[in-house]
Amino acid sequence: MKMKKLIALLLTILMALSLIACAKTDAPVTEDPAAGTEPQEPVTEPASGTAEKVEITYSFWGTPDEGASVQTVADKFNASQDRINVTVLAIPNEEYTTKLNTMAIAGELPDCGIMNENGVLDFAAKGLLADVSDMYAGSDSKPMDCITFKSNGTPVAYSAANEILFMYYNKAMFDAANLEYPSASEPMSWAEFITVAKALTLDANGLTPNDEGFDKNNIVQYGCVVDNWTWQLEVWALSNGGSWFTEDGSACTINDPAVAESIQMVADLYLVENVMPYYAGLGDEGIQRSIVAGNVAMATGGAWNVGTCLATARDENGLNYGVARLPYMKQEVTICTGGPQVVFSQSEHQAEAMEFIKWYMQEENSWDSLIATGIWMPILEKYYTDEELTHKWVDNPNFPSYDEYKAAVVDYAMECAKSTCWYYIPHTNEFITLLRSVLGPVWDGTVTAQEALDDNFNALNDVFLGN
Amino acid sequence: MDNRKPAKNKLLRRESRTAYLLLIPAIIGLVFITYIPLCAVLGLSLFKWEGVGPMTWNGLNNYVRLFTRDPYFIDSIKVTVLYALLSVAGCMVWSLSIALLLNRKIPARGFFRAVFYLPYVLPAMAVYIGWNWLYEANYGLFNYLLSRIGVTKIMFLGSTQAVIPSLAVIAVWLSGNLIVIFLAGLQNVPRVYHEAAEIDGANSWQRFWHVTMPSMSPIIFYNLLMSLITNMQVVTPALALTNGGPGNASCFMSYLMYIYAFRNSKFSYACAIAFVFFLLIAIFTVILFLTSKSWIFYEGGDER
Repeated sequence: MKMKKLIALLLTILMALSLIACAKTDAPVTEDPAAGTEPQEPVTEPASGTAEKVEITYSFWGTPDEGASVQTVADKFNASQDRINVTVLAIPNEEYTTKLNTMAIAGELPDCGIMNENGVLDFAAKGLLADVSDMYAGSDSKPMDCITFKSNGTPVAYSAANEILFMYYNKAMFDAANLEYPSASEPMSWAEFITVAKALTLDANGLTPNDEGFDKNNIVQYGCVVDNWTWQLEVWALSNGGSWFTEDGSACTINDPAVAESIQMVADLYLVENVMPYYAGLGDEGIQRSIVAGNVAMATGGAWNVGTCLATARDENGLNYGVARLPYMKQEVTICTGGPQVVFSQSEHQAEAMEFIKWYMQEENSWDSLIATGIWMPILEKYYTDEELTHKWVDNPNFPSYDEYKAAVVDYAMECAKSTCWYYIPHTNEFITLLRSVLGPVWDGTVTAQEALDDNFNALNDVFLGN
Repeated sequence: MDNRKPAKNKLLRRESRTAYLLLIPAIIGLVFITYIPLCAVLGLSLFKWEGVGPMTWNGLNNYVRLFTRDPYFIDSIKVTVLYALLSVAGCMVWSLSIALLLNRKIPARGFFRAVFYLPYVLPAMAVYIGWNWLYEANYGLFNYLLSRIGVTKIMFLGSTQAVIPSLAVIAVWLSGNLIVIFLAGLQNVPRVYHEAAEIDGANSWQRFWHVTMPSMSPIIFYNLLMSLITNMQVVTPALALTNGGPGNASCFMSYLMYIYAFRNSKFSYACAIAFVFFLLIAIFTVILFLTSKSWIFYEGGDER
């Protein structure tokens, strides 16, 4: 009996202990226990060797491998001075927003980090972002205006990269069909785009949609993919002369006929023209599943694909790809975006975090890992306008030929890029999730885009208004 | 006699004290991990709270909005119930049939038992990614086979009508645990009943229906209940494959809860969904229990 009691008592204590342990929040493993005991005020001058280093955490999306490479960059910063030590926290991309939201509630946000674009204005509205108004005071390295997040006109964050959408194509497929490559500077009209796509769509017998006896259930090569991953659809609304929101951000115009028509035109590539594979718009199908997979001739996608998958596909699988401007419906346009580097207001070391972010955002510090690889486009206008700097950026083996990329991407970004809506519209995260759900039945032809948008306008507008 | 009674009482008291002492860990767990959070969820659902910032009293507004203006919620209940019914029915029929087959004296029985159990122990993510390739709309294996025999392609995961049945098929394929429980039950069906029935001239179908099924009914009930609760709480396919789409066609309640709470930071609103969800599962469970009396046969009598 004694023994039993003893065991029961032990179990109880163990249980209680584990509960207490659960209740304790996990501190970042890397944090130095000594850091917590330090004075909280920002350290601006080195305190003659006696003060310990300020520990700050920088979060970003990526795999542990990518985390290691970003840590290498941070280590350069750590070595360059003796006051601040930066530790990198890598979080998988799909969970990034979720993780930051959760950390924000626990009051445990990292000191600084990159953010998903669609959450920036909401974080700013909740007061979770540190003031950036003097981030670039007296500096000539202020990022371009089109990639500055603004809440009622006031800058709240600056993108770390400028990514635009354009078109990739498979040169071998154009050669095989005896077609001229798309021009890098003169975009196709939508009608021309469909004509070319039809000539490049082949069924198992080598017939195109123009031929008698074409079997649409047995297509082996598709002419095009216009990515219907929801946020990217905004570019087609602009291209068709419409807009999801009024330019001043005061009203939601998502069911405007020009917007609905633009979405219908994308859906019809599959439904009517048989030139695009079926995508339900539930994920970023993008370039990986089209150009890299080698079964699609032309596909729209973001600039990052050059670095994230196409360079490898070209070097290892001999993929011969080219870049061109997006086809246009009524006017030539593309959209630009890029996650911002921010300092979180929950940080006790905002000044140090800001110092690191400013250092990190200088192009030369992210050059090797992000810009020269083709993943990020620079944020300073001079790289687009000063030919010498453009050469420094684009003339390297990860990119397609200089002339092509210069005309189809660099000049395109300067001439035609508009800010994606999340730079000035709040709640875009929720809005785009709802829009994705609303458009689901459009892609398989159950309803038309106009019907879907009209039926759900109130719900969409509710989200826009934050109700 | 008289002087023995207090001793017995003392013994009883000591035993029950030990029993309570031993129950403490379990009760602490239940209270802290289940009941307190449940009450907290109900409490939170009456406020307006976005994680950061002030928490303001909101009365029943979250619930009113859920049933009147929410663009996902009603669809979400429908698809969750539909999915649960389809997959529970599928799982039960499939598992019982496989268990009956595996209970016969077939060659390599151990091997087949392992084969049918295997899906259950595979990592869920890997399973769903594998099925995603099979179901892929344009180049997937199933559609390739369909196109070879000249049938129009089916958008297994890409169309609002096909997505729930397609996901239910995966759930059925994954139900190896039910097979194992059924097998254990089948081996407990008393042989004497079968022999008696055989002597009375019952054929194998009659023996299955009048001997196996009644003996198995408690096991069937247990599996039905467990499978219903598991399938109502489905979330992985939406996270792994469909993002709740197309449209709201696979926007399961757990997934909706997750999206509202952790992606949109509407915690109190998500709590309201959680509470409605809890009630829904409770209702289904109660219905199951109420009907169970009429069809479950307990060998030891049903006074419990």
